[in-house]
Amino acid sequence: MITIENLTKFYGNNRAVNNISFTINDNEILGFLGPNGAGKSTTMNMIAGYLPMTSGTVNICGNDISKEPVKAKRNIGYLPEIPPVYPDMRVKEYLSFCAGLKRIPATKKSSEIKRAMELLKITDVKDKLIKNLSKGYKQRVGFAQALLGNPKFLILDEPTVGLDPNQVVEVRNIIKDLKKEHSVIFSSHILSEVSAVCDRVVIINKGDIKAVDTIENLEKSLGGNMILHIKIKGSRATASNIIELTKGVKEISKINTEGNDFFSFTVQLEGDSDEIKNSIMSELIKNNIQISEIYTEKPDLEAVFVKLINKQSSKSGIQELYDEIKSENPEKVALEKEDNK
Amino acid sequence: MFSVYKKELQSFFYTPFAYTVSALFMFLFTFMFNNQLGNLDKPQFQFTFPEIFYNVIFYFIFLIPILTMRTFADERKFGTEVLLMTSPVNVFQIIIGKYFANITVFLFMIAGSLFFPIFTAMHGEVIMSQLICAYIGFFFWGAMFIAFGQLISAFTENSIIAAIIGEIVMFVFIFIDDFSQTDFIAQYPKIQAAIYAFAAQPRFAYFSQGFIRLSDLIFFTSAIIVALAWNYIAIEKRRWNRG
Repeated sequence: MITIENLTKFYGNNRAVNNISFTINDNEILGFLGPNGAGKSTTMNMIAGYLPMTSGTVNICGNDISKEPVKAKRNIGYLPEIPPVYPDMRVKEYLSFCAGLKRIPATKKSSEIKRAMELLKITDVKDKLIKNLSKGYKQRVGFAQALLGNPKFLILDEPTVGLDPNQVVEVRNIIKDLKKEHSVIFSSHILSEVSAVCDRVVIINKGDIKAVDTIENLEKSLGGNMILHIKIKGSRATASNIIELTKGVKEISKINTEGNDFFSFTVQLEGDSDEIKNSIMSELIKNNIQISEIYTEKPDLEAVFVKLINKQSSKSGIQELYDEIKSENPEKVALEKEDNK
Repeated sequence: MFSVYKKELQSFFYTPFAYTVSALFMFLFTFMFNNQLGNLDKPQFQFTFPEIFYNVIFYFIFLIPILTMRTFADERKFGTEVLLMTSPVNVFQIIIGKYFANITVFLFMIAGSLFFPIFTAMHGEVIMSQLICAYIGFFFWGAMFIAFGQLISAFTENSIIAAIIGEIVMFVFIFIDDFSQTDFIAQYPKIQAAIYAFAAQPRFAYFSQGFIRLSDLIFFTSAIIVALAWNYIAIEKRRWNRG
């Protein structure tokens, strides 16, 4: 288990990571999600022991990374954002060097290298110089390096960036398979990827943790409301009136005109969506409005993500006071507060 | 440590790098040797190998920085530093591994120069004791330069800049002795003594005359230790200051 407690990193006066804490359990895939510049790579570099932290601790299987780095680092395999490969080496040479670095005993070395190469399907390029490989292959060679020695924890910093769609699927499957024997921390700014692979996600923005939860829970807690799409033929005003007055409709977020007399509505719902759908349908039919299309859908994850990212972090009392004094426009502050509520 | 050493040697010997540097060294040595042979006609001139070595160390200003410029600069440039730092090895083992690899290439270079004494011995006489001392001095001189070259390489990610700064530093090492002898510095004996204490060249001169003095050995060894320790500090400091 990796325990991260109150991890903070300053670059000069610039706070990159702010007091974050979470744990990574055994045999779990943890997604690390955030926009560019959120502090993902910095956090991963700190977990892997490359960057020293300003404060806080990272504990890997009982070993503190800053106090017992060698012991702690034995349990991790790290693939940084840029694969750490030597362009002048051949793939097999490189992996053999990495195996040496990770102190894999000489007897197990060749079988270990073979296993990693087969898993990532790079056996056919083993005698090529790394500088002649494509970006995707380089990425996979870097990935193979992280797998050497069967470390308990794998830290993968955006492992699918720069791969073609086929390779992305392959890498995702590899990560899923790895779950049997390893724990994986895996960062990405692509939400669909995280939701496809991970058991739990940590959402981070500007150095603050916005949420640590399973994907399902996040969807429920922030975007439980369904969206209704409805396409009608008839009077626009009557239809929008009916829809708006139906119980359970939050608002009509969009109305599109599609050709003669055809309108499509996008409606935000609250509560039981089927019931609302049925009552809207029956009302519309009563008023002689033809329905050519009607369906409900879940709000997309991207929306949840954006909502979370933009969620204000809870400020400390002093910080709040300071902001109030600083703000020249008291009305704006009041408005903002209301928004937060 | 051994894996770093092995990998460094591979990067020197699997590429034309070690051979090119050695060939350049051999070329310069041959040039010096020929030069000295040309002087044989002059009546007061004595042909000795230490004399040749004494001249060859000036070429180290260019050769050693070329050898050491990539040591850490390239690791940074290719992002492979992360790999080394996140592996279960400590930084000092990495530094020592790389240092020994550089020393090995240096020994490979020196080995080529053995051709000349052997050739001379076949046709004339070589004073062995003097030759051996000169080689020992030569080795220590190079080992010290390599330690400093490696240190400078840890300061930058551009290997060309590492080479240029290395050349300047090595230039200073060679000419600090002449500098301390100038009239201006001679006015202040204390300053002169302080500067002279750093002069490596007169210490090499003792070796080339056939002396092995403990103080000289300690000078070179401590310079190497200081440079390697500084190397460690430089790498750790950069990790802390990154960003």
